[in-house]
Amino acid sequence: MVNLENQQRLFEDIGKRLKKRTECFVIGGSAMLYYGAKAVTKDIDVVFDDKECFDNFLKILKEIEFKVKDPEALYFGKENKPALMERGSERVDIFYKEIITFKLSESMVGRIKMVYEYNNLIANVVSPEDIILLKSATERAGDRADALELIKRFNVNWSIITKEAINQTELDKPLFVVFLYEFLLELKEDFKADIPDEVLKSLLKMSEKEMVKRLKKKGGFVK
Amino acid sequence: MNKSIELVKKLEGVQTVETISKELNVKRSTAINIAHKLRKEGYLENWMGRRKRLYKITPKKNIRIGNPGFYEILDKYSRIKLIVPYEHRVIGKRLTVEEALIRAVKTKNIRIIIVSLELFNHIENWRLLSKLAEEEKLERFVGALYDAARTIIKVRRMDKRVRNKLLKGKVKRKHLLLSVKSKDLKEIEKRWNIYLPINKADLMMYKEW
Repeated sequence: MVNLENQQRLFEDIGKRLKKRTECFVIGGSAMLYYGAKAVTKDIDVVFDDKECFDNFLKILKEIEFKVKDPEALYFGKENKPALMERGSERVDIFYKEIITFKLSESMVGRIKMVYEYNNLIANVVSPEDIILLKSATERAGDRADALELIKRFNVNWSIITKEAINQTELDKPLFVVFLYEFLLELKEDFKADIPDEVLKSLLKMSEKEMVKRLKKKGGFVK
Repeated sequence: MNKSIELVKKLEGVQTVETISKELNVKRSTAINIAHKLRKEGYLENWMGRRKRLYKITPKKNIRIGNPGFYEILDKYSRIKLIVPYEHRVIGKRLTVEEALIRAVKTKNIRIIIVSLELFNHIENWRLLSKLAEEEKLERFVGALYDAARTIIKVRRMDKRVRNKLLKGKVKRKHLLLSVKSKDLKEIEKRWNIYLPINKADLMMYKEW
């Protein structure tokens, strides 16, 4: 388990060792630590949009005795799995541009709420709406509870969520909207999350459209 | 805790004691108590306002990590205020006024550049400014912006050696922003052999404050 203090110490150490300015996006539970919405997280999740930065970050982690771990155990059968690095109880999930069914988009970068500078490591903390979106993409144990906590705590701008779902479809991630719909529906029905019905309705419409498109492509859809 | 979150969600934004009392339909004294409680839990902080106290209420707990970042330094030293796009904090070191000024020029954002002109009044280490400008190949732009600042606000005198060094500096290209030139700061542009993206009228913002 990692708390904000451990995370800060690790980022500071990495920032001092990095020779070039390296920007990363902090997502998931790690981002929630900065918002004070969580006290500890199982792993530190970071995303890079530059291959060189991604490689340098991995190299530094190896230098400070992080060991490579097989991501299959955690992300079984999923696409765009992260590089998993572990040192004792600390685990870092490092994604490059894509987070399972989600693509790091320009609109998401534009919604960055906090930027922390640890020497050469610049940590951009994504907005609460984007944390929820990404939680629906990763769907690990605890992701539902985290999303629920964010919905309880923040006045979530639901139009951002639906717009980003459309955006992801345009970015060639058609299945994201299906996962998002199922994720939010479960949160509303099983956990009584305060999610407007119109949001679910519009996501359902988009999901159906995408599924029909997919079936037509595969030839499995008969009129 | 849950009750506080509900309150915070209702009151998110900038509030005064009066608006809190109106929003929650409570007495003024109760509104003061609520503000006190939210501050204690880290959801409320004072936000500008001289005569009337303004509170900024946000569901994000007020966790202040590290030292003031770029926008906080601009906000601290400049009389013209910017809408901050995100919270910026620096961990492990202190961002100096000299560094903040160079970063402002590097943004190539006209509004940020205008706001940053007042930082010239708080430069303590002119050599550091010159060194940082040299690293970014912005020396002549920094010199020209200094002269532009002097046309509108009272600014500390620049060290002569630093000024001469800046005058001899190299720049990547003569325009700071696309091919934008100043209409009425031509003399400064000629002196520094570069083009500035601002006019005298842009600097009049300083007279409004």
